[in-house]
Amino acid sequence: MAKQQLAMLIDAAKCIDCKACVLACKVANEVPDGQWRNWIKPADAAPAPGPAPRAKARFQPGACMHCEKPTCVEACPTGATYKDPATGEVVIDETLCIGCGNCIPACPYDARFRNELTRKADKCNYCPERRAAGLAPACVDTCPTKARVFGDINDPGSDAGALYLRNQARLTRVAAKTDTRPNMYYLGDPGPGDWGREAVVPASMVAMKRSAPVIKALVGLSGLGVLAMLGRQLFAGDSGEGDHKEDSDA
Amino acid sequence: MPRLHKRHDRSDIFIHWFNAACWLLLLLTGVGLIQNPAIDPFGSGYPEALRNLVGGGGNLLAVHEGIGLAWIAGFVLYLLVNFKGARFFLAEVFAVSPGRDMAWMLKKMVLMTLGPKALKLLGMDPSLPDQGYYNMGQKAFAQASVVGGIVIAATGVVMYLSDRTLGAEASGWISWAVTLHFIAVGLVFAGLLVHVYMAAISPEERPGFKSMFTGSVPDGYAKHHHRLWWNKISAGEE
Repeated sequence: MAKQQLAMLIDAAKCIDCKACVLACKVANEVPDGQWRNWIKPADAAPAPGPAPRAKARFQPGACMHCEKPTCVEACPTGATYKDPATGEVVIDETLCIGCGNCIPACPYDARFRNELTRKADKCNYCPERRAAGLAPACVDTCPTKARVFGDINDPGSDAGALYLRNQARLTRVAAKTDTRPNMYYLGDPGPGDWGREAVVPASMVAMKRSAPVIKALVGLSGLGVLAMLGRQLFAGDSGEGDHKEDSDA
Repeated sequence: MPRLHKRHDRSDIFIHWFNAACWLLLLLTGVGLIQNPAIDPFGSGYPEALRNLVGGGGNLLAVHEGIGLAWIAGFVLYLLVNFKGARFFLAEVFAVSPGRDMAWMLKKMVLMTLGPKALKLLGMDPSLPDQGYYNMGQKAFAQASVVGGIVIAATGVVMYLSDRTLGAEASGWISWAVTLHFIAVGLVFAGLLVHVYMAAISPEERPGFKSMFTGSVPDGYAKHHHRLWWNKISAGEE
């Protein structure tokens, strides 16, 4: 059986911008005031009445896209954020995350934020507590038009997998300047889909990555020096004593 | 009985070995906290294995933080008990006499690895310039340990407070704290390898090693390895 990849498929044509998903997520996950794990982006032009051509109502629900190539994971020094090999989810280990914030600018979709209460990185986690209880993620469950389908797109037997297979040719994704291959797919017209920015890894993390080989080389050099001294001690027989003066022995 | 000279107080001996034990544990746990393919010092499964051993990365972090706080508390205690000793130590290790000490350092490095013949081949006198209470090698490592230790402790506290009291506006500081913590530990560790060899494995420094348990060194060792100090204490005794 193919590896799992949990994903969200959204029929944008069914979205009515009611924001029930945004609210349900906030309540289910106790997201602090003023912070949100998901969003609905309206099209650039507001819908207008009158004869064609007129601005159509187009809405684009979104959140963490549990990317195939997550730049947030590359920005995390400890592996507190990682891509779960079993399910394909991008997970935050809250016990290990200290809230250094590296991953936040590294997400081209701005899906991450530093939770004001936990002081750790936060984002959509597909509601693991609900899934453990056999329920769908809160946003999926609450959607009145059933615009959202969640599941394993590698399992053709699942709703999400079947929908994904049937519509593969016309599914769209949000494009970002840094291609992270997101696992959030849209059916219908989700409006502008090229708003993703460049993934920014903070200068401090870049410095850490660049210094790593230098540090390794210095430690290696020091280790070689120690080996050279040990070799001389063991094999050269004399430590040089008597051959030179350590101090001015009169 | 050979004449002995006192070199370390009991509090000095305590802080040395307490520091050594903390460093060992903090290194072992700290390396396990770095898990990014671009940084992982050994590029191995070590972080994963260690995390499994203690029941997850969160536990490993808690252990590391606990030992780190104890390490800082140990130094605070030492400063309270023996502030005079700490001031003497700092004055000695940061007092560098450039000409004498650089020559000592360069010659010593050649002597220890290639031997006196290499210096003679270069037309240099293999005898070493006199050294004081500490030789330049000891001073260099002590300087790195002091400066590195302060950076490591300060950045460690910033990281510890990150998810306890600090807000999102501090995350730039926190991220730099992670980086500086890593670099400072790496640099001091490179020196630590030489320190451990020179002190514990090389036969020349055996009396110095023993003094880190007993507190004193024999007269001959003091005269041979720390002539300027020996001159001073000998003059004082007369």
